[in-house]
Amino acid sequence: MNEVIASLVPVLPIGAAMWIAAGYVTGKNRGEAGERQTAWIAQGAAGSSLLLVLCLSLPAVWRGAPGPVPVGEWLRSGDLVLRVSFALDPLGLAMATLVAFVCLATLRFSVNYLHREAGFQRFFLVLLLFMAAMELIVMAGNAALAFVGWELAGVSSYLLIAWAFGRPNASRNATRAFLTNRVGDAGFVLGLFLSWHWLGDFDWGTIGRGAAGLSTVNADILALGFLLAALAKSAQVPFAPWIARALEGPTPSSAVFYGSLMVHAGVFLVLRLEPLLLQAPQMAHLLVVLGVFTALYGWLSGLTQSDVKSALMFSTTAQVGLMFVWCGLGWFELAAWHMALHALWRAWQFLHAPALMHMVSRPARPVPGWLARRRRLRTAALQRFWLEPVTDWLLVRPTRALGRDVDRFDEIIVSRMVGLPEQEHAVSSLSDWESRQQGGAAPQAFGQARGILGRLMEWLANLLHWFEDRLVLRGGGEGLIRVLRHLGNYALEIERLLERPRYMMVLIMITFVVIL
Amino acid sequence: MRTIAAHSDEVRREIREAIRQLEHVLPGQAPLKGFVHHNTLHGFQHLPFPDALAEVHRVTGNYGYLSSDRFRALYAADRIDREDLEQALADTAELEPDKSLIEGKQGLTRGDVYRVALRVRLSKVTASQLGWQIEEQEALQRFQDDVPESARQCLLAASTGSTDEPSAIADLWDACLQSLGLQHFLLHPEDLTDLSAEQAEQMFEGLDKDGSTSTQPVTHREMRREAAARLGTLLDRTGTELTLRGVLKELTGEDLLDELRPVLLRHLGAWLDLGLAAWRSADAGQGFYRSWRSSAVRDPVWLFEGLDDWHVHLKSLPNDPMETIIAELERLGLPRGRWTAYLERLALELPGWSGMMLWRERHPGHEGLPEAVDCVDYLAVRLVLERLHAQRMTGRLWGVEPSLDMLRWYFHKNLPEFLARHALYTTRLPEYLASQTRRLALAQQAGSREPSDPWSQVARMIWTWQRSPASEQSAGYSVFREGWRLFRLAQHLGWSGERVRDLSAEQLREIFATLDRLDAETSGYLWLRAYERHYREQVFGALAANRGRGPWAERRERPAAQIVFCMDDREEGFRRQLEEINPAIETLGAAAHFGVSHWWRGLDDSRPTGLCPVDLVPSHEVRESPRRGAERLYRRHARRRGWRVRLGDAVNQELRRNLLSSVPGIVAAAPIAGLDLSAKLAAPFRFGRWARRLRERFDLTVPTELDYVAERPLEAPSPENVQSGFSLEEQVARVGGFLRSMGLDHGFAPLVVIMGHGSDSRNNPHLSAYNCGACSGNHSGPNARLFAAMANRSEVRVALRRQGVDIPDDCWFLGAEHNTCDEEITCYDLDRLPGPLHPAGQRLLDELDRACIGSAHERARKFASVRRGADPQRAWRHIVGRGYDFSQARPELGHATNAAAVIGRRSLTRGVFFDRRVFLISYDPTRDPEGEILEPLLLANGPVAAGINLEYYFSTVNNDGFGCGSKVTHNVTGLFGVMDGAASDLRTGLPRQMIEIHEAMRLLVVVEARLDVLKRIYDRQPPLQELIGNGWLVLAAMDPASGALHLFQPGTGWAAWQGQTPKLTLVERSVDYYPGTLEPLEPVLLRTPAGGERAGA
Repeated sequence: MNEVIASLVPVLPIGAAMWIAAGYVTGKNRGEAGERQTAWIAQGAAGSSLLLVLCLSLPAVWRGAPGPVPVGEWLRSGDLVLRVSFALDPLGLAMATLVAFVCLATLRFSVNYLHREAGFQRFFLVLLLFMAAMELIVMAGNAALAFVGWELAGVSSYLLIAWAFGRPNASRNATRAFLTNRVGDAGFVLGLFLSWHWLGDFDWGTIGRGAAGLSTVNADILALGFLLAALAKSAQVPFAPWIARALEGPTPSSAVFYGSLMVHAGVFLVLRLEPLLLQAPQMAHLLVVLGVFTALYGWLSGLTQSDVKSALMFSTTAQVGLMFVWCGLGWFELAAWHMALHALWRAWQFLHAPALMHMVSRPARPVPGWLARRRRLRTAALQRFWLEPVTDWLLVRPTRALGRDVDRFDEIIVSRMVGLPEQEHAVSSLSDWESRQQGGAAPQAFGQARGILGRLMEWLANLLHWFEDRLVLRGGGEGLIRVLRHLGNYALEIERLLERPRYMMVLIMITFVVIL
Repeated sequence: MRTIAAHSDEVRREIREAIRQLEHVLPGQAPLKGFVHHNTLHGFQHLPFPDALAEVHRVTGNYGYLSSDRFRALYAADRIDREDLEQALADTAELEPDKSLIEGKQGLTRGDVYRVALRVRLSKVTASQLGWQIEEQEALQRFQDDVPESARQCLLAASTGSTDEPSAIADLWDACLQSLGLQHFLLHPEDLTDLSAEQAEQMFEGLDKDGSTSTQPVTHREMRREAAARLGTLLDRTGTELTLRGVLKELTGEDLLDELRPVLLRHLGAWLDLGLAAWRSADAGQGFYRSWRSSAVRDPVWLFEGLDDWHVHLKSLPNDPMETIIAELERLGLPRGRWTAYLERLALELPGWSGMMLWRERHPGHEGLPEAVDCVDYLAVRLVLERLHAQRMTGRLWGVEPSLDMLRWYFHKNLPEFLARHALYTTRLPEYLASQTRRLALAQQAGSREPSDPWSQVARMIWTWQRSPASEQSAGYSVFREGWRLFRLAQHLGWSGERVRDLSAEQLREIFATLDRLDAETSGYLWLRAYERHYREQVFGALAANRGRGPWAERRERPAAQIVFCMDDREEGFRRQLEEINPAIETLGAAAHFGVSHWWRGLDDSRPTGLCPVDLVPSHEVRESPRRGAERLYRRHARRRGWRVRLGDAVNQELRRNLLSSVPGIVAAAPIAGLDLSAKLAAPFRFGRWARRLRERFDLTVPTELDYVAERPLEAPSPENVQSGFSLEEQVARVGGFLRSMGLDHGFAPLVVIMGHGSDSRNNPHLSAYNCGACSGNHSGPNARLFAAMANRSEVRVALRRQGVDIPDDCWFLGAEHNTCDEEITCYDLDRLPGPLHPAGQRLLDELDRACIGSAHERARKFASVRRGADPQRAWRHIVGRGYDFSQARPELGHATNAAAVIGRRSLTRGVFFDRRVFLISYDPTRDPEGEILEPLLLANGPVAAGINLEYYFSTVNNDGFGCGSKVTHNVTGLFGVMDGAASDLRTGLPRQMIEIHEAMRLLVVVEARLDVLKRIYDRQPPLQELIGNGWLVLAAMDPASGALHLFQPGTGWAAWQGQTPKLTLVERSVDYYPGTLEPLEPVLLRTPAGGERAGA
């Protein structure tokens, strides 16, 4: 029974999302006329989902949580077995209830708030997907299933930041947020791989129990993978800047994603990995350090923000940083309570953000004198501690340069090798035509070669011709010397390229790969 | 450097003056808490309406009319009819609609061409659109879908050779091309990569080859000549049309503003902030420029951003922002003559922020903030930032400084690069050219060393493409432009191929010239007048049909009660409903400051609010204080309210501001927040009322009174020397003046209610926009209460009686406030109502309650979320719930659909259903033969009503340009404005949710007065000449005696209304007419007992 109920919790919102999508594709619920239907479907699914969660969590209050519930096998391939299972422990159930409640509240809020918006249906669809994603994350019994939710949450976040995709700012920021999150996803995948490799399973329980058997180094590496994911999703230093860019969407989506739920997914993951973290002291220290940094970053930057959404966002980041500190210190219980209540509170605060100017009676209390005097620190806070430019400088720009180099390689070498057509001999401008008229027919090549073989033959012919011409017919040694100098130039060029940091990094990475 | 020193003072004066002039082009919106409707284009009001809109379009790029497509939809929906369009066309003499283009039996006038061009889209098409039309829509075999049946028949009948549709249409297309000397072959742009000899020959022949003495190839020379000319034009546009950012955008496709906007806004937002950020700048007194510079100098951001010059440049900047502006403009190499234009351009790149800066400069010390605000600071920072970011770009790409001279020098050396870049980023190149050009641009960005001159080949190809028939912008006639337009026009005129072939070259030229005359501005203005005329005819018809029906024209009987509402269009519905409930009630309308402008300090206010029109500053202060005996209660109230407010501030500010101490706060607040959220969302109506009652019970209600009698009157109270309270003479003058202005100086009912208004909703940054515009976006209840108190004083009445205003002793004034959002009425000082009036008072309160429900029901019809046919009680609950619902982006619809104003007696309009679209201002012409009352009335109310109307107009016609877009993505900034997301321009104007049902037309003001009186007033008053003579509102006069209607037409003067009095539908009550539709309704007559006076007796 429990497994059916538990599976229905994420399935219902997904189903509703599919329904809305199908209705939209077939034109059944488009425009203003379709709003009522969309709203009912969405609220109905979210409401039923909440009821089902309550069916699980309320009895758990007095009878105790049911614990892990296996549902079935997803796929099996050799040693690899992926199961669908739910971890109905107190943490999971409490969070599942909260997620369902906040999502339902936001959906209901949006019915009026988004009335007559062109993206009404799209908004509800994505919000439902997000609800399913969050439910999967908090209820999943194993890391693989949680990863499905993790990705779905990332995608829906991307879709809602870019909700007003007509504004270039919105789409640009959405892409940025999405890409930053991919770094975290890579960490998650690493964690998945290592836990399968070392522990043979993805089950939270197995990971927790198995952690005790791992060496400290291995436990650290395994934890690092998951922590990377958690840090990125919860926008901790150094990944923090993406979330400040994520405020382009409608107010309710800002509330549910970045104020309330998704920003806490990282904390939840850490809570899930409590036993692993206890085995990985280095990582716990790392958490404390990054958490403190984030809390200070969020707090100080938040003090200088002059728009409501950013101010709330930095405040949220700071609080989430504190939660990581609690986790690092081993106060998991505190972190869990802090997380749940904070999520609820921010949902309220973000949804009320437009009314702020009518809810406050006086300006914010000024910072104390000792802080106010630190001008350099204020500049740093105003510039958000340059996290973003620094990341750009360290990572983004070298990557883009690398991309451009590859592109040029493609253009100069690959496309010539495979023989893409070139328009060298056609008349493609009036100038060509004129010069041809004046200078008579341009010397036509004797034959034209295409493709690797053709090129090879041509090259061979040219080489022989040249050999004959320079070395045999003209004799003398200077030709040979020129060839050698040419080769030397090439070598120099390659060396120059290697001196650039990006190629050094590539080389180092290749070395690592080979060693591993 | 010498030049700066020599001209310094003069230049400074010039720049100062230019900044002063910025108020004409920048939005003049105040911080949102003090939002008051005003003409969005206030700065252009000195120009005639169409000229102003054309000018704004030119300067800011914002088009000021509804799109032609929207007008066509209105035409199709019968909101504009044929006659309106004809009339508007006939009124536009400069279009010469009667001028004949083709003589003869089957002649053609300009008007015929205009008619087609107005009704259907005759614009040029792109190559791909034409391809799509031909291949997918079979445009060469079928009639266009929008061709009317008559034209089809006509065309087919005229085609002699071929009577079937496909061949007739194909023949027409051939004829069009033939007569224009064009050839149509569906040339794909990529065909140009391999030109055939004929094509090349043909295009080559078309070249202008004069003066070919040089040895260079012709094409080469021509191309260079053209590129150089384009380069010259681009650089010459700097200042007047473009900034450096604009120039670079046309050359690189990259927008500098994208990079520098977030950097700028962080500093600017913090500087202008009204209380959101806790950490303010420490050098508030120094000005924005110096504060920014001292912060920027310490900022190592240049290290990571590759802004190599940052540090050096910042350190070398002068201390004086004005000097910086001059130095930067000098370095830019801009001719002196274009400096001020450049600064205007720069300000217009972020109009919202620039406007707010300017507003704060004009209102120093706003909310007592220390920050010095000066636009010179702002422009200096903008210039420096623009330069630094431009420097990075130009240095990286071309190795030059970002100045016009350097750019000119570089691109003169590299003309092919200029040609290719400019073509890529300003026009739509075909894919094969665009990708090649982009590749080159990208390679250059990467700093790679390309072989000699990679741009030449691609520039040659682009240039060739531009002169080919495949390009849409080739010179002379083009298939995509003239060919297609003629083809469409001919179909709609029902012309066959033969007729088109008969056209002479001269006639063709005339036809296209005629089409070009109807540009966007002209057609927009024409449509607008047709649209306005349609509604105007309805209003005139209704006024004419209602003549003599309305009661109280002379007030021979005594009304049961008189209620003075705000002139607000929203009160029209309420008044009508109330009069239907009890026809013996007389309602009046006036600007709801009620003539008692003052600084108001309510019981709980920490500082006074000016309750007066926005352009006035009051000279009197009035306080609300606890009644005698209630002092202890007041102290308890103040204490408890203080707790509550402090708690609110702690929750909203401290929990956001603090780090560690917020943890317990959040933990404590969260469960309550969860409950609050569920209750609010599940039952907004019930929970809202319950929470309000709870709050009132907690706060304790204190009986209060007003301190409005001046104990020690000052010699001459003034804004600088504010007097506490009003002296007796002042009270008499204000009460008497106001009553006389409404014509209410006789025939007083036993009860006279003065009804202020305000609006209240939960989650709405634009709350002030729903409040009383006559009280600067505040609630006008205090004014009503104050006025009633004054009018009830026996000393005042005695003095008034001596002046001929005889308020009988059994008459009592009551102050009240109408909440236009949740339809609640609050009466003040009810307990002071004299005993004999209690029954009448009670009855009136009941009737007001019923009117609230009626009004709510009528309003509910325009909300899509109310079920059609909901009963009044349900509708009322919905409306009240909206006010409490924090998820509502449309708590009420505000002034949407306002369209007219009537200044005159209520008897003119009573008995007509005006659908809440009409401002009603009471004025009795029979008691004002010389227009002495009318003159100030027009001067005060004309601009207010026009301001509301024009703000709605502009926000509706172009919500992106003049309005502030959707509320959904709004982000409250600094407690003074809203942005889209976290780093956009400050959005001004009205949000989309407020205007989506508005019908954008200028206000029609009908004044009940003799024509000669109005003419005299108009001649005396320059403000009215500006407003009316320039066509910012439309004025009409109704003669009090004969009822004849005259319309004022700018330029030509007064013209008598030609329309016939229509037979209007007669309905029993409003509720029998309006339900079931969302659209605006035509006026109808109501069967109110015609003898309201009899009923009142």
